[in-house]
Amino acid sequence: MNLRKILGAAVLGAGLLTLTACGNSEDKSNAKTVSVNVGDVLPTMDSSLNTTAIGAQQLNNTMEGLYRFDGKNLKPAGATSIAKPTNNGTRYTIDLRKTKWSNGDNVTAKDYVYAWRRTVAPKTGSQYAYIFSGVKNAEKINAGKMPTNTLGIKALNDYKLQIDLEHPIAYFNSMLAGSQFFPQNEKVVKASKGKYGLNSKNLVSNGPFKLDNWKVSDTTWKETKNKGYWDAKNVKLDALKYHVVKDPNTGLNLYTSKDLDIYTGLSGDSAQQLSNRKDFSTTPSSSLFYMELNQAKNPLFKNEKIRQAISHAIDRKQLSTKVLGNTGTPATTVVPKGMAYNEKTKKDFKDEKQSKALSESTSYNPKLATKLWKEGLKEVSGGNKNITLVSDDTDTAKKSSEFLQNGLEKNLPGLKITLNNVPFKNRLQKSTSGDFDMVISAWSPDYPDPSTFLDLFTKGNAMNRGKWSNAQYDAQDKAAAITNANNPQVRWNNMLNAQSIITKEQGTVPLYQQTVASLMNDKVQGYVKDPSGLYNMANVYKK
Amino acid sequence: MTKYILKRIAYLFLTLFIIASITFFLMKFLPGTPFSNEEKLSEAQRAIMNQQYGLDKPLIVQYFAYLGNLIQGNLGTSFQFNNQPVTTLIAQQIGPSLQIGTQAMILGSLLGVLLGAVAAIRKNSWIDTVATFFSILGLSIPSFVFAVLLQYFFGYKLQMFPVALWSGFSSSVLPTIALAAFPLANIARFMRTEMVDVLSSDYIELARAKGNSNWQTVAKHALRNSLIPVITIVGPMAVNIMTGSMVVENIFSIPGIGNQFVQSILTNDFPTIMGLTIFYSFLLVVIILVVDILYGIIDPRIRLGNGGKE
Repeated sequence: MNLRKILGAAVLGAGLLTLTACGNSEDKSNAKTVSVNVGDVLPTMDSSLNTTAIGAQQLNNTMEGLYRFDGKNLKPAGATSIAKPTNNGTRYTIDLRKTKWSNGDNVTAKDYVYAWRRTVAPKTGSQYAYIFSGVKNAEKINAGKMPTNTLGIKALNDYKLQIDLEHPIAYFNSMLAGSQFFPQNEKVVKASKGKYGLNSKNLVSNGPFKLDNWKVSDTTWKETKNKGYWDAKNVKLDALKYHVVKDPNTGLNLYTSKDLDIYTGLSGDSAQQLSNRKDFSTTPSSSLFYMELNQAKNPLFKNEKIRQAISHAIDRKQLSTKVLGNTGTPATTVVPKGMAYNEKTKKDFKDEKQSKALSESTSYNPKLATKLWKEGLKEVSGGNKNITLVSDDTDTAKKSSEFLQNGLEKNLPGLKITLNNVPFKNRLQKSTSGDFDMVISAWSPDYPDPSTFLDLFTKGNAMNRGKWSNAQYDAQDKAAAITNANNPQVRWNNMLNAQSIITKEQGTVPLYQQTVASLMNDKVQGYVKDPSGLYNMANVYKK
Repeated sequence: MTKYILKRIAYLFLTLFIIASITFFLMKFLPGTPFSNEEKLSEAQRAIMNQQYGLDKPLIVQYFAYLGNLIQGNLGTSFQFNNQPVTTLIAQQIGPSLQIGTQAMILGSLLGVLLGAVAAIRKNSWIDTVATFFSILGLSIPSFVFAVLLQYFFGYKLQMFPVALWSGFSSSVLPTIALAAFPLANIARFMRTEMVDVLSSDYIELARAKGNSNWQTVAKHALRNSLIPVITIVGPMAVNIMTGSMVVENIFSIPGIGNQFVQSILTNDFPTIMGLTIFYSFLLVVIILVVDILYGIIDPRIRLGNGGKE
């Protein structure tokens, strides 16, 4: 080889690199396009199989069920009006709007029947099939004991749907806005031969936008306005762009250089640094973080005073502001704020008098904590004061558990906490098998109703890992779910009562409600979270 | 030579087989299942899904079934992305990783060889000092720090290149430079040491005595001999760059394969873990084989005679 040749090649290489430097062509800030960051790729667009919030948002953008959230309110979408149940709250007869799929097919009642049966059928393997459990025969079908055509959904004709429930479900209408209840075009699902929802070729849309040239594992995708959408005239944007951004600095640089209109989900560190900016905002999400105390493993936690002592030993305000950098707000109960509203008064569940009165149970009070702890210890025999606190291994989770360890050990003399920060899957396994003393768990609502949280702590619920139980609590929860399902106000009070019981006893220790911190271009309007935790992108526009 | 290469190819498959087997059994020790919502699955669903994924059979049966498929080039379908074949998944994402990896290797090797050679020829001059300074800098600054600096100055401040995201060649420039820093510095260091040795050897003296000019001596004799140890490190380094580009890919939001690997482990996506491990191992063993063959071409002393006899 010749040195000059090598030299030449090197110079050529370096030259090529600099030559292409000035090729930034695309117009970045388009008045009719909004670009948003997301934390991860879109794993599927199959509404039967999706389990992620990212997927749910894209389904909400590109498809549509019977209803859609418009701010806090439900409005008819695929249906012509919000249905009033008959047959003692167990039958919903719904008229459908005449709308089309993006391939020109009509969206008919049969598409709903097909989609629902497909989700519930055990061989589909839908991990959200359980959400259908109140629909007639859904549980039995999912358990493989009945054929799918016995499911309580029927197409009376092409544009009339009849849904039958096992028992009245007070929040059934708001569940119907969820992506699990969306229709599917049978022809398209079948033609995709098991690859439905894995790329935009195997998809059709009936929503405000449609996916262009997308395939699973893409880190950037674009959704353009669906011209055939029935309400297209009220869709203000031409396109939505989503970019997967994993690094906080990158997100900030992309936002500042106008590649992103909305940079959402800031890390605690960034949120703290940027909180003075004008374009900074925080929105409470409906995800709640709480600590479960394993009564089955450690008898200490069977004692109410000890559980209360633990709760009073935690400075939730410090945790939210200093440790989480304003990406959390102190939680006073196991129900998050901004999710459920009283049907009549439109009052937030957490703004009710009974809810507000509970804030004392989670106040930071070291003296009271020490006192209760000492009294509690005298009341129990046995129990190990050397305990492990299991949590995730993310930065935030590690910092939070160190903070908790510090506060608890300081205020509860004799308590020794060993931290066990493990990957997510590992944490779930430990939680399920009961291999923990304390574990930090998180829950996001399946539907916007307090019961999605309150149900978790009933006796026998698989998610009740601490094994706390209270007969009165279970009774109130059951009354809200079944006995009073047709009586919204009584039911509302049942749930408030249940909330009081678990909070006063600290059956589980609420920590914080997650807050989403974002930077947003001040031209963007209408980007508002609805009770299901999603954004109705049809309402978003640029000034 | 042919016999030697054939023997090496046989070893290559043996190595892959051993790696596949070890990974398979280690992977089964991962906690949890591939299902993300497992508490909520009915018994019937779980049974059907386990059967679909072949997880219901004894481990040893799963192992042989896997090997059987592997021989036919079937890596299975991903759990994480329902039913997406792992080969498609790799094919979709390997492009950007390969591109920035290859570019970084080419850039790093060329500049590294150049820098090392110049430093050796002008030993103890200011050029040498500057070159050494840069190679130490390149070795000691981690690629993610370098990447963030590049992004901030050349992407954000000067706006010469895209800050991040993947749209054509211009967005590959900064990640390429970030990745190239380490091989560049490393190769320069090796090159300089070796070249200094070579330049003081007898045959170089002879070449000079025969009346060759300084450039001719360096180009014809010194360079080729100094490249031998460099080739040794280039192979593994290339694989290292292609597999270790995850951090840089994350910083520049590149749709590469690095992140997929980590995700598949975190979500217990067994077929993807296996597929990527085998794919990476394959790259590594092939590159090592190529390097060994290259030795023979560069250095006649290593060249094998007929049937391995000298």
